[in-house]
Amino acid sequence: MFMLAAMIVLAATQIILRNVFQSGMPELEPLLRILVLWIGMLGAVVAAREDRHISIDVFSRSLSPRNKCMVRVVLDLFVTLIAGLIAYHTARFVAFEYEAATMAFARVPSWMAQSILPFAFGVIALRYLHFTFCNIIALMNKGYDRKC
Amino acid sequence: MLIALALIILALLGAPLFAIIAASAMWGFTQAEIDLSVLGIEIYRVAEMPVLLAIPLFTFAGYLLGESNAPKRLVQLTDALLGWMPGGLAIVSLTACAFFTAFTGASGITIIALGALLYPALKQAGYPDNFNLGLVTTSGSLGLLFAPSLPLILYGVIAQQLNLPRQISIDELFIAGIMPGLLMLLLLSAYSLWVGRESAKPISAFSWHNLAKALRDTAWELPMPFIILGGIYGGYFAVSEAAAVTALYVLIVEVFIYEEIKLKELPKIMRDSMVLVGAILIILGVSLASTNYLIDADVPTQIFDTIKEYVSSKLTFLILLNIFLLVIGTMLDVFSALVIITPLLLPVAMAYGIDPVHLGIIFLANMQIGYFTPPVGMNLFIASYRFNKPVMQIYMATLPFFFILLAAVLIITYWPALSLTLLGQ
Repeated sequence: MFMLAAMIVLAATQIILRNVFQSGMPELEPLLRILVLWIGMLGAVVAAREDRHISIDVFSRSLSPRNKCMVRVVLDLFVTLIAGLIAYHTARFVAFEYEAATMAFARVPSWMAQSILPFAFGVIALRYLHFTFCNIIALMNKGYDRKC
Repeated sequence: MLIALALIILALLGAPLFAIIAASAMWGFTQAEIDLSVLGIEIYRVAEMPVLLAIPLFTFAGYLLGESNAPKRLVQLTDALLGWMPGGLAIVSLTACAFFTAFTGASGITIIALGALLYPALKQAGYPDNFNLGLVTTSGSLGLLFAPSLPLILYGVIAQQLNLPRQISIDELFIAGIMPGLLMLLLLSAYSLWVGRESAKPISAFSWHNLAKALRDTAWELPMPFIILGGIYGGYFAVSEAAAVTALYVLIVEVFIYEEIKLKELPKIMRDSMVLVGAILIILGVSLASTNYLIDADVPTQIFDTIKEYVSSKLTFLILLNIFLLVIGTMLDVFSALVIITPLLLPVAMAYGIDPVHLGIIFLANMQIGYFTPPVGMNLFIASYRFNKPVMQIYMATLPFFFILLAAVLIITYWPALSLTLLGQ
């Protein structure tokens, strides 16, 4: 699904190319902009899965494996909480938009384009919840080096 | 205050920055009694900026180039052009790296893709080992100031969100970056010539035959910079269109013409590049929310009023700015630094009479050094890992380069005309 989205963008770029030479379709521009958001959010979901979100890793480098694991539990809980909150509030936002029935472009309603936000942040929250448990288990088993 | 402190500690411990920024935005909105569903509106603004299309497309193109043999061909070509000069190889390395970084964004790819080719070659040409390590590590972030580098685009995007009294365009940034970028390249080349004045022999005699071969090998890639840069600088297409053309062109050339990347490898490359895009865009999204709050709450003005009590002259401000940015650059990568710092810094700097385009160039020039400033610059660790050398040795090796580029940064900072003359200001 994720790769598909990337390919759609590339397919769409072909159409941009055609636009350069002839007049194009006006719906394409908003579609592309929304695709950027979708690709970005899905990329963020994968970044969460691979634990590759941008962070400052200056001090964590010098921690012992055990302390690192304990810090991770706190951090992961924090991210779970924040991402969960964002998912909840963006879901409310999508619900408002659903009632307002605004159109993003052509016949695509805005709420559909926006639905990626609660979805992605929801999945990210679940991912970090998983990391939290994983690190707690690692702490209990003293298996700090194990990758979650 | 307590919340701010807690967030800073969490960030330093290594919490993902998007969560930190989102938390501070949510806290701000709650204090101002604004319904948090506004988060949806703010993050959705990522889908309302046409220029952002450039980010996934350029990133993908950069990853494709990195996976193909393009780095090798690039070295061959610069070698054929410059290899006859004494000390030519060092200049080859610097030029090739700057070029490659401009197209791939400074994410350490340059060290991994080009460093592996250049490091042994430099050694063979008789340069001292530490010089080679330093050069390759430093080159990993060289080229940040040249179009179409992603950090330049991102700075422009953020500046456009701020409703400044003077709107800046990304094209202006691209033009402003040329001279300062060349200055860095020039200073480093001069140093390399001086180091290699006795030991380094020319690697090859100049031969039309070699040049012709290198040109033939790169026949398909060679037009690319001309199309992109010519197109953007000449005003034929917008940045996002240039990105679309680049992505498509690189895809066709590397996959179907050179056949160096197999179709079945494509999904993995797409996925890898989109992970980076996701990590950048999620930070940009949540920081749109926090920025909006900061501006509503008039935070930049307050910061300006506070600083004004202690710092009266533009010069002192610039000195402090350099120190501040260098420290930030060692801790944050350029993308997060841009989205976090720019919205606060830009209004303050403009109040001190600094041109927003010039500030962008100062910002990125400092960040470029931050990449390899001891003790924590990211590229130091990438190089240490890639060349299997102790980090301490890399520190020592990059030190001369650090001071040279620091001199360049000071010139760039205190001589605005260097960045702005080409803009005709």
